Amino acid sequence: METTQRSTKTYQRFSVLHRLLHIIIIVNFTLLAITGFLLRFSNWDWAGFLVSLMGGAAAAGTLHRFSAVFLYVGILIHVCWLFYYKFALKGQWFGPASLVPKTKDFSDLYQNLRYVFGKGKPPMFDRFSYLQKVDYWAVMFGMQSMGITGLFMWFPEYFSTIFPGYWINVANHFHFHEAVLAVLYIGIVHMSDTHFLPEVFPIEKSIFNGKISEERFKQEHPEEWKRVNPVQE
Amino acid sequence: MQTGSVNKQQKFTISLIGPILLAGFLCLSAAGGSLAWGTTAQAPQSSWFVDMNLFSTSAHGALKCEECHGPMVGMDKSHPDEKSPAFMKQDPKRTFDYGMCQKCHKKSYDRYQNGEHAKAMKKEKETGQVSKTGFAPTCGDCHSAHYSKSHVSRVETGKAMTETCGTCHPDQRDSYLANYHGKAAVNLAHEKAASCTDCHGAHESLSLKDNPQTLTTCQRCHPDATENFADIIIHDSALHADKKNETKQSGLTKVNILGFLSYVFIVLVLAFFYGHSFLLMLRKLHEKLRK
Repeated sequence: METTQRSTKTYQRFSVLHRLLHIIIIVNFTLLAITGFLLRFSNWDWAGFLVSLMGGAAAAGTLHRFSAVFLYVGILIHVCWLFYYKFALKGQWFGPASLVPKTKDFSDLYQNLRYVFGKGKPPMFDRFSYLQKVDYWAVMFGMQSMGITGLFMWFPEYFSTIFPGYWINVANHFHFHEAVLAVLYIGIVHMSDTHFLPEVFPIEKSIFNGKISEERFKQEHPEEWKRVNPVQE
Repeated sequence: MQTGSVNKQQKFTISLIGPILLAGFLCLSAAGGSLAWGTTAQAPQSSWFVDMNLFSTSAHGALKCEECHGPMVGMDKSHPDEKSPAFMKQDPKRTFDYGMCQKCHKKSYDRYQNGEHAKAMKKEKETGQVSKTGFAPTCGDCHSAHYSKSHVSRVETGKAMTETCGTCHPDQRDSYLANYHGKAAVNLAHEKAASCTDCHGAHESLSLKDNPQTLTTCQRCHPDATENFADIIIHDSALHADKKNETKQSGLTKVNILGFLSYVFIVLVLAFFYGHSFLLMLRKLHEKLRK
């Protein structure tokens, strides 16, 4: 066992806005998944009962649409923040602290796979590891595709004036498959690569309280640490 | 010390709540089938004799037998004709004269005569052959003259329909139940969702292959629907694709291909990331336990 005294110094990792957005996503994502799958798997014995608790199929549908709009408003707020903070204020999109994929991410993946098989050291991540970038872009792209296919099914009368009728059926398939992907990805991959890691199990608190300890900072984001604290190296 | 032990006791009780609730739910779900909300209308004991207890509570319960069955004598034979070799072997649904029904149900009877089922009946009589789907149905094949209840709710009727229509059209029933309309109406008891007859008509039983007719049907619930709206595929089973019009056939092929591709996509993505997460977790646990 290590006997060195743990540093209690913490650093700010996430702003209030991002913590709030994360919570908005959690709540609405869960509501969307529950109401959506209760419709899709409504032949399940308890589905009718659970939907009746929500006030019937019409109310569950309204809840699903409300959560979808709420969640998408969150995404829009985030995009506005991107434009204001990253572009207008800082004037740069693709810095090392950004979530934009870089060639380093692919070499990190390769190095991580070597590490997994015991053939090397873990990669030195910057502010966001490639898995965290995948988590981000999965939600970002997922919300666009879920949003568009969802609108197709919400307003079939309008969309069938522009597109052939069978597109509504295609939207239905895509919406369901994407939903399964999202739930199985967030439920297993995001949980295990973020919240269930042995160091932080059962929850990674930094996305909720915004803070990261010095120890974890050095360990998980060494490249960023070097950039932020070059003197202490 | 004491407070600590009390807290432990409380924690123990709280931790028990979960399993107790779970056990309760399991018991309820096991008993669910036999409880009142799980049962459907009783079936009569015998198919030979009319169960008068059930008959008297049915929609026709106030009618006398003769009102539908006539004087029970025709062509110098009494009915049932005990001397006939076919006595008790004939299916009354095939021999009964359902013309009787129009005495009270004129509109339904006329609609039936103009509908697809009557056409199939005509064909059956001309060719002497029963179609692949089965006998062309008459009133009695869908309605139980002796046991059907009146004042059944819209949702209950819709549910019963999937069974009635599904007897001869099982694939259409399955694809309907896989569709939003079927899930909402049958599984979730949504009153506004369409059931079989809302689109196809109860007595006309339209195939809805022609788009102008289909569109008018859609517009009853979707007033803003335009031409392409009628190309949305409701019964998306490939089994009866040949009965659809050309637009829907080609649409269905594309839907299936694109649906398959998106399925392959999510399987590949999940397989990669599950493998990645699993291996990474193993390595991290390995290092943690070694420390």
